[in-house]
Amino acid sequence: MFDHRIYEQIERYLAGTLPAEEKAAFEALLLTDLRLADQVQEHRQVLQAMQQYGKRQQLRHKLNSIHTEMETGPQAITSELTAWKVFFKKHAQTMAVAASVSLLSVFGTLWSVQQIKKPVQQQTARYVELRREVEKIKKEQRAIINGIASADAAAPAPRSARFSGTGFAISPDGYIVTSSHVIQGADSILIENKAGLKYKVTEVHRNTDYDLTILKVEDPAFAGFGKLPYTFKTATSDLGERVYTLGFPREDIVFGEGSLSSASGFEGDTTSYQISIPLNPGNSGGPLLDDKGNVIGVINGKQAGQEGAAFAVKSSYLLQMVTEMKERENGLAVSLPQQNNLSGTSRTQQLKKLQDYIFVVKVYN
Amino acid sequence: MRKSLYETDEAIMEGIRNDDDRALAHLYKLHFPMISYFIISNSGTDDEAKDIYQEGVIVFYEKIKGNSLELSCQIKTYLYSVCRRLWLKRLAEKGRYANRIEDSENYLSLEEDVPQHEENERQFGVMAEALDQLGEPCRTLLEDFYIRAQGMQEIVEKFGYTNTDTAKNQKYKCLQRLKKLFFTSYKPEV
Repeated sequence: MFDHRIYEQIERYLAGTLPAEEKAAFEALLLTDLRLADQVQEHRQVLQAMQQYGKRQQLRHKLNSIHTEMETGPQAITSELTAWKVFFKKHAQTMAVAASVSLLSVFGTLWSVQQIKKPVQQQTARYVELRREVEKIKKEQRAIINGIASADAAAPAPRSARFSGTGFAISPDGYIVTSSHVIQGADSILIENKAGLKYKVTEVHRNTDYDLTILKVEDPAFAGFGKLPYTFKTATSDLGERVYTLGFPREDIVFGEGSLSSASGFEGDTTSYQISIPLNPGNSGGPLLDDKGNVIGVINGKQAGQEGAAFAVKSSYLLQMVTEMKERENGLAVSLPQQNNLSGTSRTQQLKKLQDYIFVVKVYN
Repeated sequence: MRKSLYETDEAIMEGIRNDDDRALAHLYKLHFPMISYFIISNSGTDDEAKDIYQEGVIVFYEKIKGNSLELSCQIKTYLYSVCRRLWLKRLAEKGRYANRIEDSENYLSLEEDVPQHEENERQFGVMAEALDQLGEPCRTLLEDFYIRAQGMQEIVEKFGYTNTDTAKNQKYKCLQRLKKLFFTSYKPEV
């Protein structure tokens, strides 16, 4: 039977420490004794497995300790730091060059883009509608109202208008025209002229393409405006014609004068004229008249950042709109004025006659 | 400047061949974040990442030690590929097939390396079990002699045997039992 001496021999054989003649004898024995050969084979396998297992355990142990060191040890941080330093020293020059190149290109690009943009900026001007926000007046009015309210506490304080613009009569039976954007989002609309006549009006027709809206007086006590002194021009006016307007850029009526500077409006809009009248928010919806007292357009906007470039919708489009309205609302009679009383009179006389037909349009919402 | 010793893959591999633990530690720390990111972004946990990564490093380490590594790519790519494969296998075992693996790196298919590793793992599993069943003092005796390669004389003193013959006899009996245990559950796939 086997005992530990044979084991020892096997081990020594496997380790190769057997003397030459003993080894020869052992190998001869292996050839004849199959059981011994099996034993040797098994023995070799077990030992190998065991030794590898031992090594593996050691390696796992090592890796585990590395892992815990990595997770907990501050060494990880310091070594990161040194790694960063090494990296920095190695590449400091390259980084400096790269940084300066990028700085240069950034500022260079910014500068050149600005250069290119400069002329473009002039072209991308904005169109400004001349509707006026009445924040300031509101405060002033409130102050006055407060004074009144303290005297008579029972009366509820009237609300002041939120926006205002200008409008003018187009027929004696209570039709008024103004710019659509003036009454945009309105709950109720009031008009008032220089003489202090006040009417409540409602919108009857709107054309946002031309930015025009026709209003009608709703007041039951309204008896008509009387004969209008101006007429509407159907043809296009000529360049250089002297024109003027009346409007309400503030609480009082304001006169503005200039000339017709182009037959087309903002960005080539053929429904409008360009005029050189200084205009302000609140002028929108005002009439544009020529020397003879013909209405040739309706003021509606100007170009931001450009002096003396204002726009007015041509009167022919207003007339077209009136016919449109007549067709739409059957039987609606708008009797446009046919006779011009202003022609030949002086400018101041014209203004005096006109004043009563120009209204401030107050928009509440 | 210690770290810069291992800046290249070649330096790391040379370090591992020379049993330099610092090279191993450096390698380990260098690529752990990549694998950790991969495992965690593919429905794994921190612990699983650690497990898989260590296994990957072991495959790599043993390949180098056995001089059987023909590295046709970076160590990084190799580790990633091994760990990726191991993790796919682990997922399959858990019954969760990842229908889409989010890869952050390129990878190789590694047809041979991983199965070889798995075979080894199986063998080690059996060995560990056999050693556990063996019980004390046999286990320590064998480990001391064969793994830690201690001399017979030290063992005699440590275990308090009367002479080396008794120790040898005891060792023989232990080994006999271990063989039995080992071969009953382990059949090498040849």
